[in-house]
Amino acid sequence: MTEKIVVTGYGIISSIGAGVEKTREALLKEEKSIGRVAHLNTSHTDIPCGEVKESDEELKKALGIASEQTITRTPLLALMALKEAISTSRLTDQTSTAFINGTTVGGMEKSEKYYFDFFEGKHTEYISANDCGAGTELVSHLFGHFDLMTTISTACSSAANSVILGADLIKTGRVDAAIVGGTESLSKFHLNGFNSLMILEHQPCRPFEKSNQGLNLGEGAGYIVIERESVAKARGANIICELSGYANTCDAFHQTATSETSEGAYRAMTNALLNAHLETSEIDYINAHGTGTADNDLHESIALKRVFGEKVPPFSSTKAFTGHTTSAAGAVESVISILALQYGFIPVNLGFSEPIEATGLIPVQKTLHRTLNHVMTNSFGFGGNDSSCIFSKYQPS
Amino acid sequence: MSVYIDKAAQISIQQPLSNEWFSNPLLPTGRLCKFVRPDFKQYLSPAVSRRMGTALKCTLSSAFACVPEEKRSQLDGILTGTGLGSIENTENFLLAMLQGEDGLSPSNFMQSTHNTLGSQVAIIFNCHGYNITYAHRGTSFDSALMNAVVKFRLNEFKSALVNGVDEMTEKYFQLFDQIGYWKDRDVTIEDVRKATSPGTFAGENSVSLFLTDQPSDQSLCELCDTQLLYRPSDQRLKACVEKICLEHNVSRIDAVVIGNNGDNINDEEYRRLVQLLAPDATQIIYKHLFGESFTMSGIGVYVGATCLKEKSIPSHITIDNKALENPQTILVLNHFKQLDYSITLLKSC
Repeated sequence: MTEKIVVTGYGIISSIGAGVEKTREALLKEEKSIGRVAHLNTSHTDIPCGEVKESDEELKKALGIASEQTITRTPLLALMALKEAISTSRLTDQTSTAFINGTTVGGMEKSEKYYFDFFEGKHTEYISANDCGAGTELVSHLFGHFDLMTTISTACSSAANSVILGADLIKTGRVDAAIVGGTESLSKFHLNGFNSLMILEHQPCRPFEKSNQGLNLGEGAGYIVIERESVAKARGANIICELSGYANTCDAFHQTATSETSEGAYRAMTNALLNAHLETSEIDYINAHGTGTADNDLHESIALKRVFGEKVPPFSSTKAFTGHTTSAAGAVESVISILALQYGFIPVNLGFSEPIEATGLIPVQKTLHRTLNHVMTNSFGFGGNDSSCIFSKYQPS
Repeated sequence: MSVYIDKAAQISIQQPLSNEWFSNPLLPTGRLCKFVRPDFKQYLSPAVSRRMGTALKCTLSSAFACVPEEKRSQLDGILTGTGLGSIENTENFLLAMLQGEDGLSPSNFMQSTHNTLGSQVAIIFNCHGYNITYAHRGTSFDSALMNAVVKFRLNEFKSALVNGVDEMTEKYFQLFDQIGYWKDRDVTIEDVRKATSPGTFAGENSVSLFLTDQPSDQSLCELCDTQLLYRPSDQRLKACVEKICLEHNVSRIDAVVIGNNGDNINDEEYRRLVQLLAPDATQIIYKHLFGESFTMSGIGVYVGATCLKEKSIPSHITIDNKALENPQTILVLNHFKQLDYSITLLKSC
């Protein structure tokens, strides 16, 4: 049997705050953060988002980065969360470590600002900061040494797939530890893209609610440090929990819509359970993808019923707190799931009043306090790139 | 578990969906060379392909050409590397948006995300397996290939499709021109054999590899391993090659595929790598025929695998213009700006 993979560190930033402590507090106090954007320069001022409070300048200051440094917002958010993840794990250069980053929009928030200038030879330093890998590279330059590094871009499941690759790299002995997650900043490109699909809500989103109209875009970053149990033990790391199972599947139906039977979501959850050697009855909480769009929430509900039958575990979407942080969502929500497991609570699904008729599923309507042993988190992306991860209380081997 | 490249297909600036370049290559001219398009109707009905961007049509066509029909829905994984994704669609949406944020059509946005390429293959193949897309600059394809090897090693894969796709638009070409990516003239084979100035030229590619856990009569070669290394020391690079060779019983590397592209700084690093890792091996060059892109290393692996299948390395793709017959082992080296490195070992089967 392969060795356990344990979580030894985490870091997060989103519209509900910077850091795991602030995040836990905001979830427990049910603080709302979805509102008008202050930093994003868009004509759609009526579309609320989950924007990180700090400006680029404030983030640079917090990170000790010179204000003239060429850096886009996506890696700035990444650095905030990465710094916390590494410091909580107390990981050093002594451990062979991979850095797996999920992102989609890359440096677009600068490219869309300077696009015409580029052709006139202005701000050209941002040309090579445009692609997805550029941000990952820059984070690493400014931060530290990694033995292996890559960037995953599977839209809204990017960060979850980073967790999966990191775990597989550890299992096959390519590295002993991995810092895995994702980052995404708001951009006009993204906001207009989602708006053109007519899936943006004009008030705070209401996941799993009968009358839901769409999602709120968010931004943020999240990373977790995972490692081989023996390596974590040998270096005296604080083990927070286990990554007990995961799966990546494809719905293989449509670029932006979900199949009738939610094949991808069904397979992601089922295969993650198999991978974790867990029965459906053992899952104590599901942090759902729950974007707030009619398509996602209906089909995720259908998949939940297919997997769990009449006994769907308590579930909630935390996207009404943070907005949909797209490529970062899998990591932001992994950190939230780990906090739930660690501190024994189930975050509330804000904005819910009536269930979707076809499925009748009711998410958690008030914050619950109870011991949790196994928590599942779902991340579903455009193109049917669907992944699920399961975190469990640590049981020493 | 062993991994084999059972079939490969490419669409690039060489003759599409063929190995014609091996004996009778096209000689690229110009600084930006576009796809030589195959007859897309062979695989895609006009109704299906009408709204698709070029990168997507090429990805689907090379994927169709690579994976036998009865195996398509059974693939355990579809793994794609693309540095820039469908930038044609990204630019179309961006330009429309910069004109005004109202009334935008979603079709370009939908195709702009990098994972559109790999997920559209899954949709058309009706394949629910593992599906992932890497967008990590010059090692995007290599990341996908490494991930596939990892899944075979974990016994989760029996077959997989790995794609490496990048297109280059006029506008993105101009942007890269602003930051010195390209030479101000055509790149010749002499530049790639011995570079004396900065810059290269742009190509486009969609390369698909069908990987299996068993060899067949048509297999190109065994894929021993792909390793990614970030800013490695010479010692780590050496140790990595030695370890792969040892694990796969390889005592001699007959040839190395190197990514010389005519840029003096880029090519000097390959010269150093060859000295360090396989000083006596025949050096295979290919970018004089295919150009440069973020995923051109996928063509590098395909070129190496093709030489093993053909049991010959023709002189027009070696650095010293000397052919080599009957190569048994080929190491494919790739680096991106001396930051990201990949090492792939191929062995005849």
